Amino acid sequence: MSKLFKPDSRRKLAALVAIWTALVLAPFWMPLLGGYTALGTRVLVLGLAAMSVNFLLGFTGVLSFGHAAWFGIGAYGCGMILKFVALSTPLGILAGTLAGGLAGAVLGALIVRRRGVYFAMVTIAFGQVFYYIAFQWSSVTGGDDGLRPFYRQPLHLGIATLDILNDATAFYYFVLVCFALASAAMAFILRSPFGRTMLAIRENERRARFLGIPIELHIWIAFTLSCFFMAYAGSLYALVNNFADPRGLHYSQSGDFVMMAVMGGMRSFWGPLLGAILFVVFQDYVSSVTINWQIFIGFLFVLVVLFFPRGILGAIRHRVAS
Amino acid sequence: MTQLLLFNITNGLIIGAFYVLMAIGLSLILNLSNVINFAHGGFLVVGGYIAYTLEPYLGFWGALIASPFLTAIIGLAVEKTLISRVYGRDPLYSLLLTFGLAFILEDGTRVIWGANGKPFTIPAALAQPLSNQFFFITSYRLFMVVVVVVTIVLLFMLLRYTRAGIRIRAGTLDLETVSALGVNVRALRSLNFAVGIFLAGLSGVLAGGQLGLEPTMGAGLLMPSFIAIIVGGVGSLTGTLVGGLLIGVASGVTAVFFPAASEAIMYVLMAAVLMVRPRGLFGEEGMLT
Amino acid sequence: MSLLQVKNVSKHFGSLIAVNNISMTVKPGELRAIIGPNGAGKTTFFNLITGFFRPTAGRIIFEGRDVTELSPARRVWCGMARTFQVTEVFPELTVRENLRIAVEVASGMRLRPWLSQIDDEKIRGRVRELIDMSGLAAKADRQVGELSHGDQRATEIMMALALNPRLLLLDEPTAGMGDQETYEITQLIRRLHKDGKLTIVLIEHDMRVVFHLADRIMVLDQGKFLAEGTPPEIAANKAVQTAYLGQAA
Repeated sequence: MSKLFKPDSRRKLAALVAIWTALVLAPFWMPLLGGYTALGTRVLVLGLAAMSVNFLLGFTGVLSFGHAAWFGIGAYGCGMILKFVALSTPLGILAGTLAGGLAGAVLGALIVRRRGVYFAMVTIAFGQVFYYIAFQWSSVTGGDDGLRPFYRQPLHLGIATLDILNDATAFYYFVLVCFALASAAMAFILRSPFGRTMLAIRENERRARFLGIPIELHIWIAFTLSCFFMAYAGSLYALVNNFADPRGLHYSQSGDFVMMAVMGGMRSFWGPLLGAILFVVFQDYVSSVTINWQIFIGFLFVLVVLFFPRGILGAIRHRVAS
Repeated sequence: MTQLLLFNITNGLIIGAFYVLMAIGLSLILNLSNVINFAHGGFLVVGGYIAYTLEPYLGFWGALIASPFLTAIIGLAVEKTLISRVYGRDPLYSLLLTFGLAFILEDGTRVIWGANGKPFTIPAALAQPLSNQFFFITSYRLFMVVVVVVTIVLLFMLLRYTRAGIRIRAGTLDLETVSALGVNVRALRSLNFAVGIFLAGLSGVLAGGQLGLEPTMGAGLLMPSFIAIIVGGVGSLTGTLVGGLLIGVASGVTAVFFPAASEAIMYVLMAAVLMVRPRGLFGEEGMLT
Repeated sequence: MSLLQVKNVSKHFGSLIAVNNISMTVKPGELRAIIGPNGAGKTTFFNLITGFFRPTAGRIIFEGRDVTELSPARRVWCGMARTFQVTEVFPELTVRENLRIAVEVASGMRLRPWLSQIDDEKIRGRVRELIDMSGLAAKADRQVGELSHGDQRATEIMMALALNPRLLLLDEPTAGMGDQETYEITQLIRRLHKDGKLTIVLIEHDMRVVFHLADRIMVLDQGKFLAEGTPPEIAANKAVQTAYLGQAA
């Protein structure tokens, strides 16, 4: 965890360069492995969502199992703007992010005094409230069928127009830039004094309290920030699919995001992205092979919990340390 | 108007009774072992389907009695092999584990019994409405309530008067001391879990008789159980009891005025309780927080 | 003018009376030890002073200000810092990181999204200072969770010190330590007391430590006040001897 205190370590820099090179060149190496650009775009967004959950889970030690709600609100917010208000992608993203973030801020204030299992229960229940609303309020949200049709709009950048609607590669790079902005913000926060208080709370809440850190306030701030990031990812997801799905708000989606973070390595910044890649690949493969793919996902959860609780990057780090 | 209200309140109590049965099992497991059993709905489904399988051989009554026991045995096996490995670890892991189990149980049901719904025949005697005036109270629904009441009473008596029951209650308050007194905590947890699953299995049989069997039927009943526990107060079985009835009645009454919101009212109730009395109606300060 | 005044404080847990009407006054610069047999209520007493619990009765006055209703975090801001019987640190972080967090929070920077170069240097400097004072320089970049008991305790004491407290409360600082470690921690505490002009209250079982360091000693037994005085007075006190088969150094 010293990476958050010494950002100039050479090894860390090399890893960072490698990761970003891979991300930037993805449209070129993915087809070689049987993938395609749109898959990469999807994985990037889900990875961002997993990182947002991990902002809370891995770095603050707070277990929210209803975080898909903010993801979904972001998606619907973005979709509704594009469908009902204005044909502007940036506006859609902004609206979705604000909607989810603010909703999270309000809810967070209600539940921040609870901890552990009880906190998780309440986040699940509240997450379901939003799922329920998305499902029932069909006149606005499209109910079971989801919100459609709307389309991501080409970006007019003054000198050129980026046709992100039809050009998969252009869209991928657009999403990559969005991802870069968000992950940079996340890293920035984690490296700040505030970010260190998050770590403190994770490591030992009692000691953090007796250092003078107002725990509830800090948890609320971390919660709200992660909701904003989550909603931002949700907005991007709506753009990926040109569609917002009520199932994206269900607690099983929340569970998937948590699993991605755990699988990749909760204590690592990039772990959740790795987890997202593995999870999506696994899920796509299994669901294409059998109709009973849920059993396999279930087994994945069980196996990771019992045998790989530290996740892949966590296991590697542990091996290196000892 | 009052007739309609009465209709809906009674209806609500019947629904509430069912929620109580589900929620109490969940609450038992949560209180003693600090585990949120996401798979509770899955066990409900398994219970229903086992009854369906047994019915041709044992009849309705035989299936009703045997199925919860069999389901509890499966639950016990799951607890001993999987869940016991995550006790004492961060609650994150038990959540993910039961989450995965829920998937396995639901899809497993699909694999074994097929994805289509199955009918579950109840004795003709129970299918009759009790009276022409109160046509909504079929014998079956009354029967369900009776079963729930009897079960809950038995459970509370078990917890109050048997040694195991007393230990479970003590363990909910202070597991360390109970362990220090020489009680086998592992066995206690297993027993507790089995009892919880028994209740889930029983819920499944009853639900099957009412609604027919479907692999997805468990998931929809999990949330009301959660809400019942949150409203009633974590750590209190009485609270869960009251919570379940309360949300059932609230749901029934709302159906009179705003039919579309009868499900939403549960969430509103939960939000209200969390704002006004965050520990729940009967919850103790510091329980599981 | 007293630094800490505890007035007739009691704590009931249901029918269990853990602390029964105890009063204590501590002057600035004093090193007070609280001793007593197990179950005497010493840690509960500490918990009341630092805000872990609210007292059932009584008041706590710190530097003339009534802090009875304040949360633990607010009391830290008033100038109180404590260590725990079971060392509470951030186990997966290094010593340096542990201290860094303490210093940042104490400097009022806990909500800052970023630090200027100047502030950053100031904080690093203060962290270095604390590390040197503690004698942990060689192990500063190792995870605290992996260090010996004594080093973890020393880290915790330095974290408390980082908060620039005017009152330091140490709960059994030498618990579970061998002779060498006990000696080192005792020396550390003594240094802090003399050099830092700190007021210290500590709970201890090791009589050697108590009689070596304390200006005044307060004895508790079964939640009640038993005696108070200078070390020689307490050593000679018959009631203390009976209650607490302890031995003077």
